[in-house]
Amino acid sequence: MALGTATQEDSEVDLKADRPWVCIVWDDPVNLMTYVTYVFMVLFGYSKERATELMLKVHNEGRAQVSSGTREEMERDVQRLHEYGLWATLQRDNEY
Amino acid sequence: MTPFKREENGEISIEISTQESHVLISLTEQLLELLSQGDSHFEAQDPLLHLVGISDSDALPDDPVLRRLFPDAYEDLASSSEFRRYTEYGLREKKKAHARIIYQALTSQGEPEEITGGNTPIDKGSFKLIINSAELLDWLSGLNDLRLALAVRLGIGEGRKEGMNIDTKAIHNKYELMLESDPMKAVYAVYSWIGWLQQGLLEEISPE
Repeated sequence: MALGTATQEDSEVDLKADRPWVCIVWDDPVNLMTYVTYVFMVLFGYSKERATELMLKVHNEGRAQVSSGTREEMERDVQRLHEYGLWATLQRDNEY
Repeated sequence: MTPFKREENGEISIEISTQESHVLISLTEQLLELLSQGDSHFEAQDPLLHLVGISDSDALPDDPVLRRLFPDAYEDLASSSEFRRYTEYGLREKKKAHARIIYQALTSQGEPEEITGGNTPIDKGSFKLIINSAELLDWLSGLNDLRLALAVRLGIGEGRKEGMNIDTKAIHNKYELMLESDPMKAVYAVYSWIGWLQQGLLEEISPE
């Protein structure tokens, strides 16, 4: 967690700016396809086409990268996705 | 035909029977209770941390429903625990707020009155309420949390972590074939009904 923790980690993130963090959404059979699409549109401001494309990727492939950025930004995205009941995680881009 | 309707002024209304309303009230009540579990722990901790929404606790919740509602954010345990410590309290409060909006909308109705719409009389004991446009997303996510909670009790989505392909049709058939006397059949019926409500609401509000 970046908030309030050692600055050493923050500077490490800066040095590796070319390898950002990504937010992944995983398939949960409970969440309706229309709901997942709607949440992507509302939270990320994605178009209906883009949101549908991502939702289908989650549905068909089991997961999809929905956003990328700094670790703090991705933690915020994961938090918001959890608020709306989507199953999300974050990781370094190169792990994906 | 869904219970949701867009009114002339653009507001969304829901028409719901007293019986259905009672089901939703009872479920949201239970969810609120569950989300408040361990609150005393949050409150008993360092008051300054409490003020900024940080918890002393970073353990995975005991209840499987809470584990479904607050999944690990990282693959590694240490980062997940730390994330939990900083976010779970705030997330619980947000989820409680979503559930409370549904609960309050339904309980503020008082005794339902008989209403009529157009030429067709509507079943006695149903009422209509307007969903404030600012609260639509709370309704959607509140209904979703109820479905997630029921799904855990029904065993829907188990094994999803292992990448198991989950056949929702097979789940549906399993409960369809269950004996009427099996209480889980009724739970599944409620789960399906809430999904239908959520879908109806999405159809009313989703931009084309």
